[in-house]
Amino acid sequence: MTRFNQTRRAFLAGTAAAGAAAMLPMPAFAQSGGGTLRLRLDGDIDILDPGYMTGGIEIEAQKQCLPFLAQYKREGGTFTWEPTYFVERLEQRDSTHIDFTLAEGLVWSGGYGPVTASDVKYSYERMKGTDWSGYFEALDRVEVTDARSGTIVLNKPFAPFIMVTLCHGPGAVLSEAAMKEVGERFTTKFPAICGPYQLELTPGQRALYTPNPDWTGPAPAYERVECPIITEVKAAELAFEAGELHCTEVGADTLARYSANMPEGAEITVGGELQYMWLGMNTDHPKLADKTVRRAIQHAVDVESILQGAYSGTTTRSYGIICPGLIGKRDSTRYYQYDPQKARDLLAEAGITGLDLTLRTLNTQERMLAAQIIQANLAGVGINVRVLPLDSGPFWEMGQESKGDTWQELELWLMRFGTTPDPYEATQWFTSDQVGIWNWERWTSEEYDSLYEEGIRETDPEKRHEIYVRMQEIMEETGAYVWINHEPEAFVHSSDVVVNAAPSGELNYRRFERA
Amino acid sequence: MSVNRSELDVGQPAVDSSRLPEEALEDTMRESAARERREKLRMFLTSWQGMTGLILVLVFFASAIFAPWLAPYDPNAIDIANRLSGPTAAHWIGTDQLGRDTFSRILYGGRVALKIAAIGVSVSLVVGLILGMIAGYGPRWLDNLLLLLFDTVRAFPTIILALATVALTGPSLELVLAIVIITSIPQYARVARTATLSLKAADFILAERSLGASTPRILFHHVMPNVVGPLLILAAMEVPVVVTVEAGLSFLGLGVLPPTASWGTILNEGYLVIRDTPWMVIAGGIPLILTTLGFTFLGEALRDIFDPRMGRGR
Repeated sequence: MTRFNQTRRAFLAGTAAAGAAAMLPMPAFAQSGGGTLRLRLDGDIDILDPGYMTGGIEIEAQKQCLPFLAQYKREGGTFTWEPTYFVERLEQRDSTHIDFTLAEGLVWSGGYGPVTASDVKYSYERMKGTDWSGYFEALDRVEVTDARSGTIVLNKPFAPFIMVTLCHGPGAVLSEAAMKEVGERFTTKFPAICGPYQLELTPGQRALYTPNPDWTGPAPAYERVECPIITEVKAAELAFEAGELHCTEVGADTLARYSANMPEGAEITVGGELQYMWLGMNTDHPKLADKTVRRAIQHAVDVESILQGAYSGTTTRSYGIICPGLIGKRDSTRYYQYDPQKARDLLAEAGITGLDLTLRTLNTQERMLAAQIIQANLAGVGINVRVLPLDSGPFWEMGQESKGDTWQELELWLMRFGTTPDPYEATQWFTSDQVGIWNWERWTSEEYDSLYEEGIRETDPEKRHEIYVRMQEIMEETGAYVWINHEPEAFVHSSDVVVNAAPSGELNYRRFERA
Repeated sequence: MSVNRSELDVGQPAVDSSRLPEEALEDTMRESAARERREKLRMFLTSWQGMTGLILVLVFFASAIFAPWLAPYDPNAIDIANRLSGPTAAHWIGTDQLGRDTFSRILYGGRVALKIAAIGVSVSLVVGLILGMIAGYGPRWLDNLLLLLFDTVRAFPTIILALATVALTGPSLELVLAIVIITSIPQYARVARTATLSLKAADFILAERSLGASTPRILFHHVMPNVVGPLLILAAMEVPVVVTVEAGLSFLGLGVLPPTASWGTILNEGYLVIRDTPWMVIAGGIPLILTTLGFTFLGEALRDIFDPRMGRGR
């Protein structure tokens, strides 16, 4: 018998050889032949309940297993909506009434009977008392006409209700009977499903979608969807190149590389640019209470360098919170432009020397690069910045008064929000009552608050444009924002797969198609 | 009893007849020790492993100490127009995503590794030595308590401990140092404790105790000199581990803060753009490999020379 002797050096040599082998050219990209679609999941699904979810991948799961009345429809470069196959009819009767009739034959799993208009009423009226109640602020009630028909009644004219609410995760319909049985809240298991797929979760490993035996609607293009959990974008990109995934999100560098030289058998699909990123400043912090100092910081940051250095020129420059293609999008800033000398003059005017600030950011590649460019820019005008990278948990809690005291120490941070295809959604986070919740900059403006209400009521697009432009001017005038970019949600996929993504980037697997 | 001096001198080398036999014995012992030292030096100088290690370690120290004079650029100077360039005459091993000179960043990254290694190893050695001697020499209950403490600390994997600590404090160089020190102390302490236990009942310690010597005097004047040798060899072997831990934590984003260059952060940034340019990963990996190899060779050579018993168990 041969004895196998493994020494430390032999192990190191073997590892080095394996590493070198890994650098060799990869095999061809996976083709989606067969009935299984393999996609990346960026983390564990924690709460599937639409009222208490975090969003993102949880919304993706809801779209596969729960009924929705409306869905996004891409028309050229913009998004509109269309009824889903869960409804026979969905019509806006007037500015405050939306009529619907559910499709025939829809049944809940687990013997909970047919999907009814009462379930719609229960689901939407319940949302008004949940963490996602903001999406249902305009909802007054749902009137049930018969078993499958009803009317959504709004308490004020709110044109974007279908796009913002019904097409998005909060618009999911739940089984009233099943919900009552589980105590009206759930986490990682749907009480009852009605959709083409059923979901099986293995924490830390994967989500698996298999055919729902009770489903009577149209069959999706793929029988099974396997979603291994891959937290790192780069690891997912490598998995795609190794043929392990059919589709995955890509980072800015990879997007630039693929755009310049697209690999054979692969394509890029951009889900949308409905994300806005900015450098935020806490107007309540003693170091930043003086607007002149904030204005100096606005003038000191070279946004073009960030777009090139951190995002490889793949993103659109931002001039506010309203994203490209939406009413209210601005084309320039009004109160600042990159001018380091002006920044130095403003700091001198404020009598500030040797200012030390902390910039908090998510510890992702692009954010870290952007933070370092800002650090260098501010060092150039005499502000010493310490970059503090954070995991998503502490990062998303740091400005919320209900989650601790970090909000008091906040000085600078890099933030990105996603939004829906209506300007109302983006503006809602900066009203006075959002101070300490999502308005981390902590300014208030009566004019902004009243314009927010006006924007919801107004239906004339031109007037709405003026309202939302003015709201962004108010934000910029506070000195608390340096607008950075609108980052696209870009997906690389094998060319035989047609990707379906929401404008805010969530994938809808049941609407994927074969090319 | 009378002693016949002439009998003693027969067949002996020329020794000053006016000196006492104790002094002559001391001279002989000193000469023997010098011979032994020369022999060990000869062994070291003729060991390819030891010399290779020494050269690599010296290069590491020199490049880290003289980085400000050797680096052609400010390691944090951003030049977006030249981002991700390959090796050129201006940038010998290319630039990173922000156009910073990779060679300069590697030199400065060596300073971080040197700082962590020097401070981390020396502090943990001193603290481990003291705690180990106290555990070995002190009462049984104190020994048990300290052993429990050492084992508790060792039970935590370094990365898990780092992750938990970073969640509370945020990443920093000081945090890396603290983690290195805390996780290294038990190794030194356990070796020191074992050696102290074997010395505790030695005649010369009992004699000191019976003469009324204080415990600190016994520990620091009599036990420590006999214990510290193996610990120094262990420290030399520990340096590459510490350098790797620092690089690993920085690679994971738990170490030094940006824009400070560290071999771990260079590797991490290089890994993220490996498909665009492999130079950062290669450049970040080579000094790490050579430094750990250098210290490992040096430590093994010293161990083989000064404490060959330690090597036999491998």
